[in-house]
Amino acid sequence: MKRLVLLVVVITLAFAAVGCKSTSDHLSAIKDAGKIVVGTSADYPPFEFVDEAGTTTGFDVELMNEIAKRMGVTVEWTDMPFDSLIAAVQEGKIDASIAAFNYDEERDKTVDFTDAYYTTEDSFTVQEGFTGDLSDPMNLANYLVGAQSGTVQDGWITDNLVTPGLLPEDKYFRYERVDQAALDLQAGRIEVLMADYVPAQAVVSQFGGMTIVYHGVLSTGPLNIVVPEGDTALKDEINRVLKELQTEGFVEELAFKYFSE
Amino acid sequence: MDVAKFLQYIASGTAYTVGVTLIALPSGLILGTLLALLNVYSGKTSKALTNLYSTVMRGIPPIVLLFILYFIVSGSINLSPFLAGSISLGIVSSAYQMEIVRGAILSVSGGQMMAARAVGMSKRQAIRNVILPQTLRLAIPPWSNEAAIVIKDSSLVYALGVPEILRRAQLISASTQQPFLAYAAAAVIYFILVFITSRLLDGLEKQLRIPANP
Repeated sequence: MKRLVLLVVVITLAFAAVGCKSTSDHLSAIKDAGKIVVGTSADYPPFEFVDEAGTTTGFDVELMNEIAKRMGVTVEWTDMPFDSLIAAVQEGKIDASIAAFNYDEERDKTVDFTDAYYTTEDSFTVQEGFTGDLSDPMNLANYLVGAQSGTVQDGWITDNLVTPGLLPEDKYFRYERVDQAALDLQAGRIEVLMADYVPAQAVVSQFGGMTIVYHGVLSTGPLNIVVPEGDTALKDEINRVLKELQTEGFVEELAFKYFSE
Repeated sequence: MDVAKFLQYIASGTAYTVGVTLIALPSGLILGTLLALLNVYSGKTSKALTNLYSTVMRGIPPIVLLFILYFIVSGSINLSPFLAGSISLGIVSSAYQMEIVRGAILSVSGGQMMAARAVGMSKRQAIRNVILPQTLRLAIPPWSNEAAIVIKDSSLVYALGVPEILRRAQLISASTQQPFLAYAAAAVIYFILVFITSRLLDGLEKQLRIPANP
């Protein structure tokens, strides 16, 4: 009998210990450590990229640095491929991720999203001299199309064009990074590149010989920071600081700095 | 844009590439040698088990194993991407190195084991003093092949967020839109690393050659 009581006590304690590892603990653990580990994929100018000094910078990076500063911590940046970021947040490898993430129902099942910090549009980029008609986005189905895999554009093309059978699978090309897709557009292996409007503008200005024939909201919309599923304490804290930064006009200034060219 | 600075940024990833290789290759050798000995000199069960290990490990692409180890196993044990990547590559490599060592063991004639036992050595002594010294020498040429493969496979750890040469080349390619320059730089560095390694191993092979065994 004594043993049984002891067993019950041990089991209860064990559960209590597990229970204690609640989400508010994650936030206080971050604050205690004085640092938040944030993942990004620094291959997406102007949101996140590597500058000449080899440091990670960009709109997202500066914004996150300021958010962390106001939370009283510093950011430890971890770079990994875009595809790996959600899994890394889910597995607790990183505390949060900022990488121009759009809200997406599929993603929302495994991680949480903060409030929006910026709103983006989709765009279609083509070679100069393109004679096709893309005034109706659904016309995309008539061309060789490229997009970055794992992005909302990839999801939109798959759901709206590929799955209904409008765009044959072998006419749709998924790339690991947007610059690879731009190279193929330049080489003529794809005819239309669907991407976020802002990075598409960066691609057009850097590659030359390309033009954006359509921009509007199809798959995109607000950008959010990704935090672990159910981590409301961290989410609320980031939202609080974000609101502050938006009221002060900090976000707007930053957007002007990175997106105005 | 300062090209020299970008190239320097890519080149500084070499430390990670060398680090990953220096962990993966020796740990694969130790594990592979033990498995090969088990395979050749132990009973039927361990032969079957080590064969299964070798078949499975060589049947899975290294990148898949890397993701499994990193995202599933290291969910409970907290491994850094660098360590997780290096150890996973070591495990992948151990299966190939086991086959290399096994082949080398089998090429030492069976009579030597019998002779060693006949002069009173235990099996363990015979393996340590007669078989292994010859085996490891014989294994150097195929092993230098494996060393080159591991150096090149170390580029896979970029998927876990280790800023090694390939990942840095990707980042520079994205920020400068000069993919040729970035990847050519990476190619040159990999080539130099593999070239130096195979030269060193060639030298080692010559130095350790048994005179009577040309």
